[in-house]
Amino acid sequence: MSLFPSEENTQGSETIIGQSVKVDGNFRGDGNVTVDGEVQGSLKTNHDLKIGVTAKIKAEVEARNLILSGEIKGNIKIREKTQLNKSARIHGNLETKILIVEEGAILNGKCTMVNDQIQIPEIKKASK
Amino acid sequence: MYYYIYDASLNDKKYSSSIHRIENRLMQLGISGRIEKLSLLKSFKETVEDAVKKGATTIVAVGNDNTVSKIVSVLPSLNITFGIIPVGPNNQIARILGIPEGEQACDVLSARITEKIDLGKANQYYFISSLAIPQSKDIIVDCGDYNISASSNHSSLNIYNINTTEKSGYGEKKRYGSNPKDGLLEVVFESPKQSHGLRNFFKKEYSTKSIFPLKKLKIKCSTNSLPVIVDGQVTFKTPVTVEVAPKKLKVIVGKNRMF
Repeated sequence: MSLFPSEENTQGSETIIGQSVKVDGNFRGDGNVTVDGEVQGSLKTNHDLKIGVTAKIKAEVEARNLILSGEIKGNIKIREKTQLNKSARIHGNLETKILIVEEGAILNGKCTMVNDQIQIPEIKKASK
Repeated sequence: MYYYIYDASLNDKKYSSSIHRIENRLMQLGISGRIEKLSLLKSFKETVEDAVKKGATTIVAVGNDNTVSKIVSVLPSLNITFGIIPVGPNNQIARILGIPEGEQACDVLSARITEKIDLGKANQYYFISSLAIPQSKDIIVDCGDYNISASSNHSSLNIYNINTTEKSGYGEKKRYGSNPKDGLLEVVFESPKQSHGLRNFFKKEYSTKSIFPLKKLKIKCSTNSLPVIVDGQVTFKTPVTVEVAPKKLKVIVGKNRMF
């Protein structure tokens, strides 16, 4: 599992949405995505997503891993790990496997932790 | 047959000795061929097409990045291998392809390592290096499923197949737009850093950069038509459709190529 380990180790082609740029519509990246600007619509990547303090996202978000320092208004689905830094703000539902929350982060919405290992014993109990 | 096309600027006396050394080296290596000089009287397109009619299988641009760009724009429709002998200043394309300057380039030609590289295509015009819009305010990049726009008044828009600018190619940690084999064009919005105080005054660095690796896009302008400069050679007016033409050019490269 990688969470932006280094710039040299990025998979695919990295997309950077800078502070002075706005993306409208259904964006899909083939590699890691860094957002410091605005996104409206949907934001999806099979790789990692890093959202900076200046970012303003009004979109449905899907990624493998997420590091959030800015604001997301919309539902979020993360396949692996979500890291909410102290300036992170979420207004929407979050679905993730692993969650790291720093003091000060705001999550206004439902948080669902998806974990395959926990789900298996629950099924066994039900069968008894 | 090798066909060497010399840039018009090489008529200057200061290049005569290096041209002489190049021609001698080509003869020693057994790859000398016909020579044609670009001039104002004959277009480069005619020159290249005549070369093919006369049986050229390898066309070599002798000159700088401008010479390369002019010749490359007409090559995709012809079944030709392309080579470069860099002479004079402004030879970033050759450097990225691993071709040294002057007579050393003749040895690279002789070794004949070839790669099929991507070209960019703006409307129907092929380009090897980049496309530039100096002022990207009011510009909308239409990528099909989504649009990209810049909010800054001073940002520029560049689209790279091969990025020949010094600052991105060699100085920075993260290079972009320098792999002409990735099947992608890098769309880059750059805004100059807001300088506050003396410390930043002399620094020419870019702080807000956006990079989108894309295959096809359309450049539109929400107000007037804006000029789009392709490879520093041709100017189009918006709207312009830009796409990557994968593996479109067979080019002779050096061992020290940067991709």
